Amino acid sequence: MSRARTLVRDTGERWRRWAWRLAGYAVFLGAWQGVSTFLVEGFVVPPPRAILTEMGGIVASGQVWIHFGATLRTIAIGFAVAYALGAAAGMLMGRSRWWEAFLSDWVLATLTTPGLIFALVAAMIFGLGPAGPVAAVIVTSFSYVAVNVVEGVKAVPHELVDMARAFGRGPAPVVRHIYLPFLAPYLFTAVRYGFSIAWKIATLSEVIVGTAGIGFMMRQKFQEFSMTGFLAWVLLFFAFALFLERVVVQRGMRRVLRWRVTAAVR
Amino acid sequence: MAGVRVRELRKEFPGGDPPVVAIEDISFTVDGQEFVSVVGPSGCGKSTLLNILSGIDTATRGQVDITQNGRPARLGYVFQSARLLPWRSVLDNLLFVQPARGPADRERCRRYLDMVRLGHTAGQYPGQLSGGMQQRVGIARAFSIEPDLLLMDEPFSHLDAITARSLRRELHDLWQETRKTVLFVTHDVSEAVELSTRILMLAPGGRLVADLPVRLPFPRDPAADEVALARADLLRRFESLDLLAG
Amino acid sequence: MAWVRSPRAARLLSWGCFLAAWQVAVPLLPTDLLPTPSAVAAFMVAELRRDTLAPHTVYASFGLSFQRLGVGLFLAFAAGVPLGLLMGLRRWAEDFLHDFAVAGLAMPSLAWALVAGMWFGFGDLAPVVTVTLAAVPFVVINVAEGARNVPADLLQMSTAYRVGRTAVIRHVILPALMPFFFAALRYGLANAWKGLVLAEVWASTEGAGWVIKFWYDAHRSQGIVGYALFFVLVALLIERVVFGRLSRWVFRWRPARQHDSPDGAGPVTAGASGRA
Repeated sequence: MSRARTLVRDTGERWRRWAWRLAGYAVFLGAWQGVSTFLVEGFVVPPPRAILTEMGGIVASGQVWIHFGATLRTIAIGFAVAYALGAAAGMLMGRSRWWEAFLSDWVLATLTTPGLIFALVAAMIFGLGPAGPVAAVIVTSFSYVAVNVVEGVKAVPHELVDMARAFGRGPAPVVRHIYLPFLAPYLFTAVRYGFSIAWKIATLSEVIVGTAGIGFMMRQKFQEFSMTGFLAWVLLFFAFALFLERVVVQRGMRRVLRWRVTAAVR
Repeated sequence: MAGVRVRELRKEFPGGDPPVVAIEDISFTVDGQEFVSVVGPSGCGKSTLLNILSGIDTATRGQVDITQNGRPARLGYVFQSARLLPWRSVLDNLLFVQPARGPADRERCRRYLDMVRLGHTAGQYPGQLSGGMQQRVGIARAFSIEPDLLLMDEPFSHLDAITARSLRRELHDLWQETRKTVLFVTHDVSEAVELSTRILMLAPGGRLVADLPVRLPFPRDPAADEVALARADLLRRFESLDLLAG
Repeated sequence: MAWVRSPRAARLLSWGCFLAAWQVAVPLLPTDLLPTPSAVAAFMVAELRRDTLAPHTVYASFGLSFQRLGVGLFLAFAAGVPLGLLMGLRRWAEDFLHDFAVAGLAMPSLAWALVAGMWFGFGDLAPVVTVTLAAVPFVVINVAEGARNVPADLLQMSTAYRVGRTAVIRHVILPALMPFFFAALRYGLANAWKGLVLAEVWASTEGAGWVIKFWYDAHRSQGIVGYALFFVLVALLIERVVFGRLSRWVFRWRPARQHDSPDGAGPVTAGASGRA
């Protein structure tokens, strides 16, 4: 009986939270509209409607597929390579102090260097075209993946490995039933971080040397001084990146981590 | 010394249906220089009672009157965990609460640190001390404002048995020396028998079921027959309560 | 041969391999624009001796960038701390602002830099605004987290002892917030620095970021790589020396080996997507 009450109160609470949330969006959009109508010229802060129309135009004209396709290809190739290399390096670094000493300076250096540098150096090596962005993506995402995998390898509990050895299990079941389940969350975090960094560096590279892609379009709009077009592309990019990260990656993560979620809930 | 008068005190926590009653209309008085233990199982409202007396929490209804010669009494509080500011030195932790007493007086604070034999730690941070030492700092802090009434909320329950035992003895000596009025909350029956002049029994639901004087001479050896008898008697009373409730 | 197996040997070997590979690979690459390590070293020495082809010395350029960074971060804290406190203390403010803070965390600093460039043109304003915009979400999220984590037991203790409001703020609340301010500064700074470089490239005519662009346009690759190394050195200096010292001093009360992050709820670090 008191449970029913609690449920009622919870739904009331949920409504209130959603109301505040929606109020946040409403105030944001209202302020934006107000600024563009009353305070500054429309080309400096274009009204939300204009940006939406522009976004619709970009999607309808098919431009979106050309440029998102180009950027996605860059990311897919670059990130696949970076992930394979980074995971391998992370395994080595996690299990051997020698490899950790060998690689850690480079990992740290690539983590702290502004992405712009890699984009520019890649541009100088490969010139205009798609190769430069791919190379920049590989170098920057590599370290993010490696760092997370190192953490994961270090988190694998020794007791369980010893336990498996004590029961006479060979390396294959140990990897499959102990290493992989414990590494899985870290491997996924590596995907998330590496991926979000890959997006950023890919677009940045395209701004400099791209001949197609989201970054290329952002540069075009920047040079044309078209605020509407620029914001439309940024928002499309943002929505797409958020969709991939939140929905695709996190859903996959939840499926693989079932054992952990249930453990947390119960 | 300060007197405590509690009349028809009730505390409900909203949220359940009906609201959860933590304290059910209890009344009692504590006179000066008494060492009164409030004993009961977990969840019978003991801590809530202290929180109301100290002003941390408010009562749903009823009266609490803690005065010292007509003015509001000064309260010292020793918590279950030491609750020291980790980022201030031991001495600064004592100085932090001094405004309750009046102008900050380093000498007085040092004196009370010495009384718990921690004078040498004055410049250290709480994180550098063991759990037992931290709790002793908490006790020194409570005494350092020279309170009219000392509230203690299971102050030894987080410590190991050996440390707890020596701290109990230390507390008893301090009380003998200063004769503060003490309200001491515990779930440990033998602790209550060893220390108090009077025991208030609280039952689940926050009911006050008995008010028993303890007329045994100090110091009390926990192993002595009459102390063991008193302890057994008290435990029997709690067991009979369970029978009635169940 | 035993020493080869030691971590120190590994580190030496890795530097050796890297330099050798660099020296060997440069002639093989499909461009004659890449510098050899010796060319980069010569460039860096010349820069440090104020001997440069760029319009400003390396000291002037980094100095200007640091000024912009300082002003921008100050503004970010001035705006972010009140917002963060509000979000941490009031449920409605949390619901109202949360999505924007998370979106801000995930926003690439490139977008901030270009937007600020279009709004404010060339000058000091665009880089400063970029720094502020890139840092504010980190400040807000971390301060909110800190406000939610002010230890309730210490506040109750202060109430029981009738400690005054100003003393509570000074001795309980501010020290409890400190680790979160620290995290806000550290990660906000990292993100702001990246944004600043980009803003200087596209919306400024001076500063460290702009000089990199200058070398790129002048096809002086040793300039780019040399400046990259300056950036790494500065980053390491800030991270190891400034933050290391500061955190050791601020958190001197902590028992050894916990100087980095607040215990319990962690600060918000990288900008992937805020909370999972």
